[in-house]
Amino acid sequence: MESNEPIGADRGSPDRGSAEGKVPRDLVAGLFAIAVATLGLWGTLELAFRTPAGIGPGMMPRTTALLLAALGALLVVNSLLARSDVIERGALRGVVFILGAALLFAWLIRPMGLVVAGPVAIIFSSFADADSRLREIIPFAIVMTAVSIVLFSWGLNLPIPVWPTATPAVPFLPTIRF
Amino acid sequence: MEDMLSNLGLGFSVALTWKNLGLAFIGCLIGTLIGVLPGVGPIATIAMLLPLTYGVDPVGALIMLAGIYYGAQYGGSTTAILINIPGEATSVVTTLDGHQMARQGRAGTALGIAAIGSFFAGTVATIMIAALGAPLTKLALLFGPADYFALMVLGLMFAIVLARGSILKALIMIVLGVLMSTIGTDLETGEERLVFGIANLSDGIEFTTIAMGMFGFAEILRNLEAREQRDVVKGKIGRLLPSWAELKQSAMPIVRGTFIGGTLGILPGNGAVLGPFASYSLEKKAAKDPSRFGRGAIEGVAGPEAANNAGAQTSFIPLLTLGIPPNAVMALMVGAMTIHGIVPGPQIITKQPQLFWGMIASMWIGNLMLLIINLPLIGLWVRLLTVPYRLMFPAIILFCCIGIYSINNQPFDVVMVVVFGLFGYGLIKLGYEPAPLLLGFVLGKLMEEKLRQALAISRGSLLPFMERPLSASLLILAVVVLIVALLPMINRRRDVVFAGD
Repeated sequence: MESNEPIGADRGSPDRGSAEGKVPRDLVAGLFAIAVATLGLWGTLELAFRTPAGIGPGMMPRTTALLLAALGALLVVNSLLARSDVIERGALRGVVFILGAALLFAWLIRPMGLVVAGPVAIIFSSFADADSRLREIIPFAIVMTAVSIVLFSWGLNLPIPVWPTATPAVPFLPTIRF
Repeated sequence: MEDMLSNLGLGFSVALTWKNLGLAFIGCLIGTLIGVLPGVGPIATIAMLLPLTYGVDPVGALIMLAGIYYGAQYGGSTTAILINIPGEATSVVTTLDGHQMARQGRAGTALGIAAIGSFFAGTVATIMIAALGAPLTKLALLFGPADYFALMVLGLMFAIVLARGSILKALIMIVLGVLMSTIGTDLETGEERLVFGIANLSDGIEFTTIAMGMFGFAEILRNLEAREQRDVVKGKIGRLLPSWAELKQSAMPIVRGTFIGGTLGILPGNGAVLGPFASYSLEKKAAKDPSRFGRGAIEGVAGPEAANNAGAQTSFIPLLTLGIPPNAVMALMVGAMTIHGIVPGPQIITKQPQLFWGMIASMWIGNLMLLIINLPLIGLWVRLLTVPYRLMFPAIILFCCIGIYSINNQPFDVVMVVVFGLFGYGLIKLGYEPAPLLLGFVLGKLMEEKLRQALAISRGSLLPFMERPLSASLLILAVVVLIVALLPMINRRRDVVFAGD
């Protein structure tokens, strides 16, 4: 519920109706639910549904997976009967750079510390927006990293690495400790 | 009554130490600071700031977290009024008239009445919690595992009714959340479930990871797409304190909003979200000239903001008395409490009275602090909001990464957040609303535990669910709620409620 989408946007979208070559959203949404349910069923096949004492470890996941599949199927049927919204195009650029920035942070934080991981995360994620300029983002990255070090490491004493201690792990290359 | 006063006295003696006052202050301040950022709602704020409380004792940590929560709420309203972006569903209503007021050069008054209304609502809600806490805890002791299970089913049904968009899709999200809650090692048998050979999954998925991925990262992705409908009010903020006439105009809406929001907030299943909508439609109906609404009517800000804050606070009641989180924010509170070794539930009030009453007293102090912090600092928040989003979102990403890493000092947690960010973004693209999933995830674990306990007591028989008067009536109510939600006629009315009209 903590989102920015205007209330009721689900229904009032101007894109309503399946135009040529566009996939109805609810059809995909329903198939997605069925796929997840299948994965859930497959992953719990070997667990006991009941035990002599009561319910087994398999009962909750399998029951919910079956329910999920049934609801997904209902959504698929619904989407075929009524016209549903189509999937809006996503911005691949945002996904790649934002999620990539976090992955880089995860990769760099232990060996290289916040002084490297911080600016890398900020600069890399800024590419998600076509309007960002390096001239502006580089000084900003340095300032924000300094602020985080002062706030989180010095101020709050969180045990987050600040300075580099080793080169980051790269497949086939040795890690050098400083 | 006397009990309540002496209990509150105990609470204030805990909350009024310099250290705890300081923690409440810092919590409110940082909570507002992060909550003001567009697109960062209370869930992402709390998840991001959770590590800040690690070095603090449990009582202080909860006081600080409560401060962060109120700060984030108020920050969300500030963003709603000034740039027309609600940080979360409950401040959607505030954008309607609040932003219009801001465009007319009355931003200060809108922010001022929101703060005053919230303070009044917070005061009443604190008294409500103090009054209801002890009796509800006694009631909670009557609850057997079967009754708990039934109550959670009812909560999930409420969550479906209150979710946005299609009911079927909300139901799918809840079931998916319950399914995801079973990932990890089964506590009773030690068998791994849905781990698929990934070692990091054998302890299950952390709630904070899901919350940060689906509400932090996925929200940023969504914001980047829906770019620049931002409409920052650049003109003057105007005077902060409402005039006498405006105060008189807002008094009754605030009182009504407080009681609507406070009452709905107690309901399991995120009733708090309905408060502002209900208050807005009531004020519009009660107004002599309803056409003023949507064009900067001060009642349209005062009532819903009071309802919002009252609900935000009374939603602590199910958590503190029954141990059942009614919404995603409270679920995060459970996570925070668990980190500090506190198990939420009826035993808190008897075993740790200083924690229970200290937290309640600090709620009121937090509300007072918001009033004191925000009114003078509004200029600062306004300037913060003029920072372009192209600079803001990389900073938010960095804070999210630091926050998540610091929870366990595990880089893998950041990777999991990325996975859930992608997952959440996909769900949004498919028209699913992620909030019910979170609630299903949290309640799923508790439900399975209680179901197992109930069946162990009855030796596998399902009869107790129907024989025990409490669980039977709760389950029947749950069925009724679901049927009502599915009736097409009422369904249409539900649309109307959510259209804020």
